[in-house]
Formats: sequence, structure tokens, C-alpha cells
Amino acid sequence: MAKHNLHQTFHEIIEQHKGLLFKVARTYCGNEEDRQDLIQEIRIQIWKSLPKYDANFAMTTWLYRISINVAISFYRKNSIRRQYAIAETLPPVIDPLPNDLQEKFNLLEKFIAELNEMDKALIMLYLEDKSYLEISEIMGISVSYVGTKMGRIKEKLKKRFLNHKEN
Amino acid sequence: MNDTDLKYLWQTGNEQIAISQKSDKTSLDKLTKRNVSHFLSSMKPIKIFTLLAGLLWVLGIGYVLIKLTINAYDQVSLYFLYSAYFQVMLTAVAVILYIIQLSTIYSIDFNKPVVILQKTLIKLKASTLNITKILILQLPFWTTFYWNESMFKNGTLPLFILQGAVTISFTYLSLWLFFHLKFENADKWWFKLLLQGKEWEPLITSINILNEMEEGVSSDKDKIKKSK
Repeated sequence: MAKHNLHQTFHEIIEQHKGLLFKVARTYCGNEEDRQDLIQEIRIQIWKSLPKYDANFAMTTWLYRISINVAISFYRKNSIRRQYAIAETLPPVIDPLPNDLQEKFNLLEKFIAELNEMDKALIMLYLEDKSYLEISEIMGISVSYVGTKMGRIKEKLKKRFLNHKEN
Repeated sequence: MNDTDLKYLWQTGNEQIAISQKSDKTSLDKLTKRNVSHFLSSMKPIKIFTLLAGLLWVLGIGYVLIKLTINAYDQVSLYFLYSAYFQVMLTAVAVILYIIQLSTIYSIDFNKPVVILQKTLIKLKASTLNITKILILQLPFWTTFYWNESMFKNGTLPLFILQGAVTISFTYLSLWLFFHLKFENADKWWFKLLLQGKEWEPLITSINILNEMEEGVSSDKDKIKKSK
């Protein structure tokens, strides 16, 4: 691919999938500064990996692999530097949802932030409506194991919601 | 709350966030410059210094030792010569491992499936332990390089006992550390003292998570399917 085309393709991919990048960053980063850093790191890796893109995989599969890999490494590095409760520092949604939904959405983000680095990725992909096959391709685990893990994570989330309601 | 509710909640909430996102127009030039600076900043000055010092040490001392072996083998203490050879050889092994580690870090492909790449990254980080272990094996040779023949001819019993105790204890210590420096012992005080245990904690957590996921790593046959 000519360099000019590569530049153009890169910008198109970033523009078209900026939501994906932001969702991954928001899942793994607690504050705005780290989130912006992470997004830039992801963009760098996308640019570096672009010549190696295998068209046998869907673009989103490829993007999720890169984004989650960078995010987990970034998250691990940052958890050495400082450990913080992610959900507590997440900024509120700018254009707020109706009160009830907003509160539930904040809780969902808080509970996801409590999960470990791999479970965060799994549940995010699931909530993004990815099929178990796609999730298995992104994560590198078997389809049946995705099902097993997902059952456990969903159970955990439901319990957290239930406990919160009771309290 | 059922699955559909969870998905609806996630998608509705994120839709609002996506709307509020501005396009990032950071130019590729800035991005790639940042990439270089990021790589350099991740190579802390102490790492660069260690690598250069190790290289200079191996090349410099190695050169002197070879010269001594060729030109003055009969005149130098063989204890000194062989102790220094072992020390330099072990340093050379550590430097080679260090260079391999740094170059591998730089060439990592983030396009790999998440569990597979994360295992590679963990292994890379863990290889720091191997470098440390190699360097620790040098300990006994620092207690033998000053031995000489006259010491054995004219030495006293207390000197032999003291020298023997020092060499044996350093040998024991280096072998003990060589076999015990592993992640399982990261919570021990001596591990933390030697390797700043705090840095290893997230890594150990990740190892446990990945080990748990090991049972779910799919075979290649499962994976080679298009998702399009």
C-alpha cells in the first residue's frame, strides 16, 4: 500500500472507529488524562500494525485486538504507578441520560471497573453485541470457554446490581 | 437485570459519550514522534546506562583477559584469570539476554489475540528475573579472584577458615537465590528487597488470571474462521 494511501486509510479507520477506541479507553482508564494517553497509544499501535492488517479478519476484530492489548498493558503499567478506583473517577456523561438510566449506567461502569483485566474485555465485547465466535477470535480462547466465562461474569454483575438494590 | 437490559444500558450510555467525542486530528508526524519518545522514555536512563556499562565491561575486561592469556599466562594468578573469565562470561550472557529482551519488546505485534499477546508480554517481563539470576551466579567468583599460590603456601588456619566460609556462603547464597528467585516467592521480604516487590504484584495478578484462562485457549483449528 502506498504511503499516502496508508495515511488516508489510517485516518479513515480512526475516524470511523473512534467510538470503539474511546469505549476501550473508558473501560480501562479512570481519569481523562490517562484515557487520552491510552487512546494515543492505541492509535500509534494501529498505525504501526496497519501494514500487517490481515483482511481475513474483520476490521473491528483487528481493532479490538490491538486496542485491548494496548489497554491491558497500559492498565498494568498504571496500576504499578497508582492504584485507583476507576469508576469513582470516571467523568459523567456530558449529555446526561434520564436520571434512572444514568444511575444504572454509572453503576454498570463501576461494577465493570471492579472486574479483572481479562473479564473487563470479555464483558465489554459482549455488551458491544459481539458474537461468541468474534470474542473468541479477539481474545484467543475457545468459543465454549467464552460461554463459560461470560456466564460467570454476568452472574457476578447481576449479583452486584442485586446487592446494591438491597442496600 | 437481564442480558438485554445490560446491553441496552451499555449501548445507550456509550451512545451519549460517543456523541460528545471530538475527532482527534493529531497528525501522524506527531504520533510517530511521540512513539519514538515513548519508547525512549520507557527505556529509563538507568537501563541504557546498565546496558552500556555491561557492554563496556564485557568488551574491555574480555580484551584484557584474552591479552593476558596470550601474553602472560605464566605470570598471572590462575585464580584471578579464571574467576574473571567466569565473571565476564556470565555478564556477557546477561547482556545478550538484556538486548534480546529489549529488541523483543520493541518488535511486539499488538495484532495477536489478547490472551496470547499478554502471555508473551508477561514472559518478557518475567525474563528480567532470569537476567538477575544469571548475574547473581557471579557472586562466588568475586571471592576467588584474589586467591594466589602464596596464600595457600603461607596462609594460616584462621585465614583458610575465613576464606572458605566466605566463598562457601557466597556460593550457597548465589545457588539458593538462583533456584528460589521466582514469582511464587514475590511476597517474601528478600524478593522485595532485591527486586522492588511492588512492581511485580500486578504482574503476578496477571499471571494468575492468564493461568486461569489457559484452559480456554483455543486450538488454531478453532480460530481460523472469518468473522466477516
